[in-house]
Amino acid sequence: MTSLASFVRPPRIAVWLVDLFAASREAESLLGDMLEEFSHLASKSGVAFARKWYWRQTRNTITHLAGNAFRVAPGLIAATVIGGLLLHRLVSGLPERAIFAVLHRYQVFDHHFSTYVFFATDGIAIGHVIASMLVGCVVALAAEDREMVATMTIGFVLCAITGAAVWAWVATGQTFFLGALPWYFADWFAIVVGGAMVRTHRSAATILSSHGGFH
Amino acid sequence: MSGRDSLGEFEHIIVLALLRLQDRAYGVTVRQEIESRTGREVSIGAVYATLERLETKGYVKSHRGDPTPERGGRSKRFFRVTAMGVAAVNRTQRALQSMTEGLDLIPRYS
Repeated sequence: MTSLASFVRPPRIAVWLVDLFAASREAESLLGDMLEEFSHLASKSGVAFARKWYWRQTRNTITHLAGNAFRVAPGLIAATVIGGLLLHRLVSGLPERAIFAVLHRYQVFDHHFSTYVFFATDGIAIGHVIASMLVGCVVALAAEDREMVATMTIGFVLCAITGAAVWAWVATGQTFFLGALPWYFADWFAIVVGGAMVRTHRSAATILSSHGGFH
Repeated sequence: MSGRDSLGEFEHIIVLALLRLQDRAYGVTVRQEIESRTGREVSIGAVYATLERLETKGYVKSHRGDPTPERGGRSKRFFRVTAMGVAAVNRTQRALQSMTEGLDLIPRYS
């Protein structure tokens, strides 16, 4: 190992992505193996080559780990995805009801109309995103070690449903507000973010407990 | 597990790599052994995903080594083939031999 290799680190985002998809008991050794080969390649063939190799390994590794999750734990993935979709359906109306309850309680419509408009439009959309993120967290907590696969599957299902709905709107010539489009797809993204938050927290806790904070 | 399962192609290759490497078998050496002998690029994720399946089936066992600084304080995970794994390799080898017996593969299909 050269002194150069000891200072070079693999791309942080790539390391984080692999850590998200690896089962917690194999993440440590898997990332250690990738770092070992990366350091060796960096000293032998240069940092740019090693980084390119690391990204290629990351892409292929994530694909295999995600595919393997469906083969090893299909029941867990199916249960968490169905449960997550039901939970999402259950909570998706809550932000709207809660925001309007508060707006009516404090008579915001009469006294602060612009505030009312903000909460009745963007406020509800933000509430939906927060509720979706919480659903993602709950699903990730239930799908231990398969957090990203479970939340991403829910995300893909919701994305497909939303895409079909938007297509149906456009096809039937109904009024469609293009500016709202990002909000329509924000729910699935928020669910995946929730999954990533739980997984990142779990990984940090695992590293701390196994090494007493050593990095 | 029935104990009568044959190994898939990549599972077969991985178990053979573990048998070749013996007590030096961990992610890096397994991946490099396969690449050098088969000439195909293998991702570390494919190796771990297959090893996880083999461990679930009882064909492979693993244990952790000590953390090392050059691996960022991360430990190695060493793998070894169990008696069930050896039996599965033998079954798969026999099945392949039986299927290829009498076939003149080289001139006709290569």
